[in-house]
Amino acid sequence: MKVKKICTAAAALAGLSGVAQAQSTVTLYGTLDAGLMYQSTAAASFAPTARDLGHVFRYKDGGIYASNWGLKGSEDLGGGYHVNFKLQGSFDSGTGRFQLSDTPGTAAIFNQFSTVGVSGPFGTFDAGRQIVPMIYAMYDTDVRGAQYFGSILTAWLGMNQAAGWPGTSTNGPLGALYDSNALVYQSPKFYGASLALEYAPGGIAGQPQGGTRESAVLKYSNYGLNLSAAYYNGHDANPFPANYPTAPAAPSTGLNNNRFYYLGAMYTFRGFSVSGSYSNGKNPANSSHVDFELWSAGLGYKFTPSLKVTSGFYYLKDKNNSANHSSEFAIGTEYNVSKRTLAYAQVGYVDNDGTMNQTIVYGQPVAPGKSTTAAMVGVRHSF
Amino acid sequence: MNVINKLGCATGVLLLASSIHAWSQTSDAADATVASAPASGVASQKSTKQANRALRKQVYTAIGKVKAIDAGNISVTARSGVVTLNGTVKDASQVGQVADIARGVPGVTSVNNKLSVARPFGGQ
Repeated sequence: MKVKKICTAAAALAGLSGVAQAQSTVTLYGTLDAGLMYQSTAAASFAPTARDLGHVFRYKDGGIYASNWGLKGSEDLGGGYHVNFKLQGSFDSGTGRFQLSDTPGTAAIFNQFSTVGVSGPFGTFDAGRQIVPMIYAMYDTDVRGAQYFGSILTAWLGMNQAAGWPGTSTNGPLGALYDSNALVYQSPKFYGASLALEYAPGGIAGQPQGGTRESAVLKYSNYGLNLSAAYYNGHDANPFPANYPTAPAAPSTGLNNNRFYYLGAMYTFRGFSVSGSYSNGKNPANSSHVDFELWSAGLGYKFTPSLKVTSGFYYLKDKNNSANHSSEFAIGTEYNVSKRTLAYAQVGYVDNDGTMNQTIVYGQPVAPGKSTTAAMVGVRHSF
Repeated sequence: MNVINKLGCATGVLLLASSIHAWSQTSDAADATVASAPASGVASQKSTKQANRALRKQVYTAIGKVKAIDAGNISVTARSGVVTLNGTVKDASQVGQVADIARGVPGVTSVNNKLSVARPFGGQ
């Protein structure tokens, strides 16, 4: 209380004296995104042998992206420099629960972002847990916009499931959506081209390489064309078995076991958007078991500024076993009811073969090795 | 025949030139390309297309100068000075900003703005 009063007094004094103090802003924001969905098969886990539990009709959070909320702020230092912070967490609007963190069974209030950093003429630097650059590289080159229902994101997660991700934490075996303890630099644009670099120290005692991650993304954006190239490399990725904490996490030994490349392009002309990508994810320490390829193609059309249809095709292949492959097609329409409210309807079909279990929507497993259809209608409201 | 054709062309060019003077203060380069347009059937179509393409490029160059805007998500098409914008931008303020930039490019007579705001991936 005392501290607060002193601060207020100081602020008042500063205001009175007319000193040109830099202005700080803090914004509270968030999104609720939910709907009803039907799916023709279901499973209780991402295990390649999980049995088909039959069709499911449910409330589903996140048809476009997860519901989330956050606080962000910026302090103007002058000369074009700012200190920025962002605290953001995702939650399930159906239950109010927090979504996954980097450790199974452990809730993190700000599981998406908890960063502080500086921006200026040199670019942007952010430190802390955050969404990593490779995900934006995908978002920029997928007509479906890496959304939670049938997109490059769910296809990439399908690749992770095939590589043994149990889906109980955000620690995946191939690439990453979020990294904890990450240091990310984003360059300014030069003739439409920009570079992002990430390094995350692992903090493992006696193991300088233990748990470290590094990534680089090169992007181009101009003349209606987005190009992205991403490289990601991680050590000691995906340490948690499906039955953690009954079974312990794998020890961090500095093993280089997560490598992911992505190349993508998207072109926008009039109302049309077309996209395509190729990516490869493998475990360099065990590539005879974990080596996957993913191709994508997308086509979208915007009828009016508030109505669009997007579609995408995603093909996933196990390079070590030709019996394991998966093709997914998703199509959806979005209508902006107002500036802050969006209604959507989407349908997806996935043909999983072998042990593949590529999902249609994030957070609802399908039966492995089967064909599955899903449909969802929902609303997304931002505040 | 030749004389009549030439006369016709000259009149057309003159008319067009005077009308350009009347309706806008465009750059010399843009004027020249538009004015030479009706010289002959095929050639005129070709040069109109060239002028449209040149204008489209100029608009992209102008948008590309603002580093906060990703012109890779924006479609620009030009037709005799009328520029149509489509695609998406990062936030609501950029919808108007991009249109203003396009309007400021010499040779642009009007802007048809169909831009919308992309839903952000990582929150706001």
